[in-house]
Amino acid sequence: MRIACPHCGERSLDEFLYSGDATVKRPDFAGTTAMDDFVTYTFERTNPPGPHRELWYHAAGCHAWLVVTRNVSTHAVASVELARDVALAAKSATKDSAS
Amino acid sequence: MADHILTPSSAFMDWHPPATPKLAASARETLTMASFAAARGKEQALREAISAAYGAVLPKSAGRVEAGGIAFVWAGPDQWLAITEHEGARDLEAELKEKLTGIASVVDQSDSRVVVRISGSRARSVLAKGVPIDLHPRAFAPGSVAITHASHVGIILWQVDDAPTYEAAMFRSYADSFAHWLFEAAAEYVSAQP
Ligand SMILES: [Zn+2]
Repeated sequence: MRIACPHCGERSLDEFLYSGDATVKRPDFAGTTAMDDFVTYTFERTNPPGPHRELWYHAAGCHAWLVVTRNVSTHAVASVELARDVALAAKSATKDSAS
Repeated sequence: MADHILTPSSAFMDWHPPATPKLAASARETLTMASFAAARGKEQALREAISAAYGAVLPKSAGRVEAGGIAFVWAGPDQWLAITEHEGARDLEAELKEKLTGIASVVDQSDSRVVVRISGSRARSVLAKGVPIDLHPRAFAPGSVAITHASHVGIILWQVDDAPTYEAAMFRSYADSFAHWLFEAAAEYVSAQP
């Protein structure tokens, strides 16, 4: 499996670290339901075949965090985005809906 | 309190580089280096300051440019490594800090990294034994840069010329491991052959 880093180009898997599901959001640790929320966040994961959105870290390269959309059954990579761009887009979307 | 006098010493314990027309390696241990990263929202100001001070256009992606005796090497998103000879006690950190006040963070790297130069017609074959990227001229040429690894040692690799000549910068404490790998990989090209 190879990942096309937006900064470095296509690189082999051994330059990257898998860092988990990119679709879950860390709960508010100060919330009243924090304990239950963290149990759900930490342990209750589904693992369906097919496309996943995952966080990958280009550890032996440019050190960028990436959001990789990948079919876990075939290893085919559908897209690679900078996690920074994904996070900024989510932030501005939240801001827009709040205003 | 006792006086401590620190004497500079080589990063390499066992240094017996290949030195043939087909393959030569040398350690560049007389460099001054500084990394700099743009402050948030100051990328354009940084480019303009470097251009005004040195006449260099900072590479936006993995690349290397030379201007005014300094090499500017892309070292990650919005980060670069500036490298030059330490002649006359030139101090790149101090120099860049003064020129980039408020627009970039500058950190001295002179003692953190060492640079190894590898050149000759066999240089590409030797590097290919440990570097997992394509070094064919159509993929990697003079001016190209890659942050990658060589036999598990993290390096920033760039090509200087078509000889070809490459340089690899690595953390100082890994220099000996890198050299050990390099000399092993080079052995088949330097042993006595007709
Ligand atoms: Zn990268």
